[in-house]
Amino acid sequence: MAANPAGPSAREIFSTLEYGPAPESHACALAWLDTQDRLLGHYVNGKWLKPEHGNSVPCQDPVTGENLASCLLGEPDDVAAAVKAALAALGSWSRVPGGDRAQHLTRLAKMIQRNQQLLWTLDSLFTGRVVREVRDGDIPLAQQLLQYHAVQGHVQEEVLAGWKPMGVIGLILPPTFSFLEMMWRICPALAVGCTVVAIVPPASPTPLLLAQLAGELGAFCGILNVIIGPASLGAALGCCPGVRKVAFCGAVEEARVLRQSLAGQRLELSLALGVESLMLLTDSADIDSAVEGVVDAAWSDRSPGGLRLLVQESVWEETMKRLQTRMGKLRSGQGLDGAVDMGTRGAAACDAAQRYVQEARSQGAEVFQAVPVSSASPFYPPTLVSGLPPASPCAQSEVPWPLVMASPFRTAKEALVVANSTPWGGSASVWSERLGQALELGYGLQVGTVWVNTHGLKDPAVPTGGCKESGSSWHGGPDGLYEYLQPLGAADRLPFVYEHLNYDSFGLAVPKTLPAGPETGPSPVPPYGLFVGGRFQPPGAWSSRPIWDTSGQLHGYVAEGGAKDVHSAVEAAHQAASRWERQSPVARAALLVALAAALERRGADLASRLQRHGAELQAAKAEVELSTRRLRLWGAHAQAQAQGHTLQVAGLRGPVLRLREPLGVLAIVCPDAWPLLAFVSLLAPALAHGNAVVLVPSRTCPLLALEVCQDVASVFPAGLVNVVTGDGDHLTRCLALHQDVQALWYFGSAQGSQFVEWASAGNLKSVWVNWGHLRAWDQEPHGAGSELELRAARTKALWLPMGD
Amino acid sequence: MDLQARHLLDKCCTTDLSWISKIQVNQPAVLRRAEQIQARRTVKKEWQAAWLLKAVTCIDLTSLSGDDTFSSIQRLCYKAKYPIREDLLKALHMYDEGITTAAVCVYPARVCDAVKALKAAGCDIPVASVATGFPAAQTHLQTRLEEIRLAVEDGATEIDVVINRTLVLTGQWEALYDEIRQFRQACGEAHLKTILAAGELGCLTNVYKASMLAMMAGSDFIKTSTGKETVNATFPVAIVMLRAIRDFFWKTGNKVGFKPAGGIRTAKDALTWLSLIKEELGDEWLKPELFRIGASSLLSDIERQIYHHVTGRYPANHDLPMS
Repeated sequence: MAANPAGPSAREIFSTLEYGPAPESHACALAWLDTQDRLLGHYVNGKWLKPEHGNSVPCQDPVTGENLASCLLGEPDDVAAAVKAALAALGSWSRVPGGDRAQHLTRLAKMIQRNQQLLWTLDSLFTGRVVREVRDGDIPLAQQLLQYHAVQGHVQEEVLAGWKPMGVIGLILPPTFSFLEMMWRICPALAVGCTVVAIVPPASPTPLLLAQLAGELGAFCGILNVIIGPASLGAALGCCPGVRKVAFCGAVEEARVLRQSLAGQRLELSLALGVESLMLLTDSADIDSAVEGVVDAAWSDRSPGGLRLLVQESVWEETMKRLQTRMGKLRSGQGLDGAVDMGTRGAAACDAAQRYVQEARSQGAEVFQAVPVSSASPFYPPTLVSGLPPASPCAQSEVPWPLVMASPFRTAKEALVVANSTPWGGSASVWSERLGQALELGYGLQVGTVWVNTHGLKDPAVPTGGCKESGSSWHGGPDGLYEYLQPLGAADRLPFVYEHLNYDSFGLAVPKTLPAGPETGPSPVPPYGLFVGGRFQPPGAWSSRPIWDTSGQLHGYVAEGGAKDVHSAVEAAHQAASRWERQSPVARAALLVALAAALERRGADLASRLQRHGAELQAAKAEVELSTRRLRLWGAHAQAQAQGHTLQVAGLRGPVLRLREPLGVLAIVCPDAWPLLAFVSLLAPALAHGNAVVLVPSRTCPLLALEVCQDVASVFPAGLVNVVTGDGDHLTRCLALHQDVQALWYFGSAQGSQFVEWASAGNLKSVWVNWGHLRAWDQEPHGAGSELELRAARTKALWLPMGD
Repeated sequence: MDLQARHLLDKCCTTDLSWISKIQVNQPAVLRRAEQIQARRTVKKEWQAAWLLKAVTCIDLTSLSGDDTFSSIQRLCYKAKYPIREDLLKALHMYDEGITTAAVCVYPARVCDAVKALKAAGCDIPVASVATGFPAAQTHLQTRLEEIRLAVEDGATEIDVVINRTLVLTGQWEALYDEIRQFRQACGEAHLKTILAAGELGCLTNVYKASMLAMMAGSDFIKTSTGKETVNATFPVAIVMLRAIRDFFWKTGNKVGFKPAGGIRTAKDALTWLSLIKEELGDEWLKPELFRIGASSLLSDIERQIYHHVTGRYPANHDLPMS
């Protein structure tokens, strides 16, 4: 027993007190691979699918380079087969009572528990991540996710009445953290009655194993299908009828390509992008604990990417010294070793890190590594980069694993500006012992998750998501459920007909304004201007278009807005946005109610104008009346909607706040029908949730909206509401391509919808389009449902651990 | 700390309260770190055996009972001299390393017994004595100081003093500093180990402040607890004290030792403490001059584990000599 021929003797260790190897056996993972004859296929409809023609790629141990197995690469045919299976399973799965689905998920959680050792060794063996994180982090979280969502399934009929499952969900997963990212998405999807086809990159077999475990539960075989293939295979999902939504998790550039290729395919695309996280370290922080937070965030295999660290200048030296000392203690090694902090992520990740470091060096950065980089070693050392001001090109690209990019700031206000000036909006932590300062920073950061004095906590009950170029999708908590639900009565996905749309020319040309012909009628009407910045202004092109009523008579002239007008409208909206955001909900509600009252006074005039556009007298009166009711309704909503509510989290002492924050500047292209009601029904929820808006009113009858603007001018602050009239396609083009519009709702043609989706790839703004469907604005779920409420704001989770 | 350095410190070190005024300790974050430290390092096989033997050499083998007599102290001293069975040490080729515990720790009235027993056993293991109204420190300063002097006279070369919690809880930091300075002077050549009784200080920020003041006043060791409070040596407290030791080292260049005491009973605990020191302070602290574990029953569990490592079997109670 005591003999140890290879290594050092106890006597030697007694004097050096080194750590020794503490490997965990991976025999069970290899045994499982042997059951697959070391060839991993796809898992579809409860069976392994190994097409003979398929190409395969080798999967290697990222540390030793040893060949572990081969992976078949999926083809579009395989995806189609998987979608077919998922569609077949959808019929029974979506119709069984929520309680039965809950039971099935609970059984899967127990299945995971029984096979946990296989899961963690397999995951660590292939990914190179330290087994501790998989064993103590991922696997328990996976079980918690199943249990939490099982509970949600149980109460679905009561709590989520009025919503139905979307259908088949396509899932595209990244190479790192594929197992956990998959769990975050399949749990809510399955709980509410959707079925899933997941596309997983090669060399991460854990999702396959999970699908096999789910398949072995017997019932409901086709609800979870896994295809191995690159992210580009995701485009094939669009061609499969039945897929209602694609959830993508991965790199930003891949997301842009996917967004463009899925444009117009009448399926929803949700994005969760980017890997970088952010940390603000103020001078009132517990610096030693914050240093541990940095280790959690970047150097412990807990997160997929690097960290952007902002440190207050007064504690800069102190922080750097402590960070560097701590880095000297970190150990890299084989993922299955029980005494290492960091494993590896394979050659590609090491190369990416090394490229970033070299580039940073060439731009004058200081790079600290406690261990030198060695090309022979598969491990990349923890790295601290500093001295890169925001203007250096390197500072503008995403910080890769396992790097920390530190830069100083002077004041908390400046920290907010610096932090919010990156394109990413994923997660951030704030380190400060002053409650007021921590909350100020937490509320001010434009990200999806903020942790105060901690970093990287996750819980199934807390929604996790992002904003800006991190994509606006949610998983976990109530928000995660709605991602896979649609309101009852929503149209099913129509058979997809591919229409060629020339993106370069769509809406490019502004129609020429020709003389409108002889002016008949009582008196010549003065042309309306554009309503921008709180007053009517002439359009940049100084031209206007005639509006005819249904009897063919000239009703009036409206301004012909163009790119410049859209630009100034967005600018005006941005100026008004921050003040409106800070207004209390009560104040917002009061103004909405005031607008309702003003509309009421103008009622007769509005009704007669509606009549001129073909509405019956009764219908016109009803539309005006319903419009005022909608304003009051959203006013009440704004008031009732608290600034946030507290979530219960199992492993944390202290509250997690779920905040609803405005999107920013929201552009809305209103439908042609319901010229007054649709305009008001879209405007009201947007304002109630704190957004500033740029609207394009009904193209056939914009006069109603412009009439409302007369009152808007006297009620709301200047610039908050802007209305631009003109050619619909042209204005849509200008708004969709505008990089500083945070969200766009489009209710127009199918082509317009397609263009909006395609163009949103630019800043990855969240878009809501109708794919040419008409909406019944006079009915409750369409005109004023909680769908609008969900779309009009984004969620932020603020973690506030307590203790003394 | 050698004598010269101490004299230097006596002259130049004043109560610079700015060292403790700005400090921030975030309790939930420290708790999280304490949880992590227990899961991130493990040693196996030869490494485990070697680390356990190192732990033995850092033990202050302690008996602080009301019913201690000469015979029980004598048993304690012989166990300190022969902590691990000879044949086990031989099997590990460690017999000639002179493995003993770091010290024996007793009440002041038993110091003479310990000195006598150790002399009879023929070894120079130091005798440590608790003092200053241990464990509550609620006696007059005069008698507390006298207690130190008498223990030193009896032959104790290390004095484990316990601080006055009243002064911490009422924020009288300078008074606390002055008291510890007087303890320091009363010790003379003997080493001063200052017990903070961290479980009774109210919060971790106070633990940091008390640690820093105890070091500024010239302690050779800071020690977590008396073993008589309800909260003993815990990892969160240790993390805060170790960070204070590191800060003091960075400010002054002086290495102060650390002694967790109370509630450390298993070999696994001992390994975690060693890795905690290695991670937070570094290898140079992993020696009896700078690290002690105050324990009584820990030693027998370590001996059991080493027996298992050497023979591959778990021992019966009678296989290992009692202390």
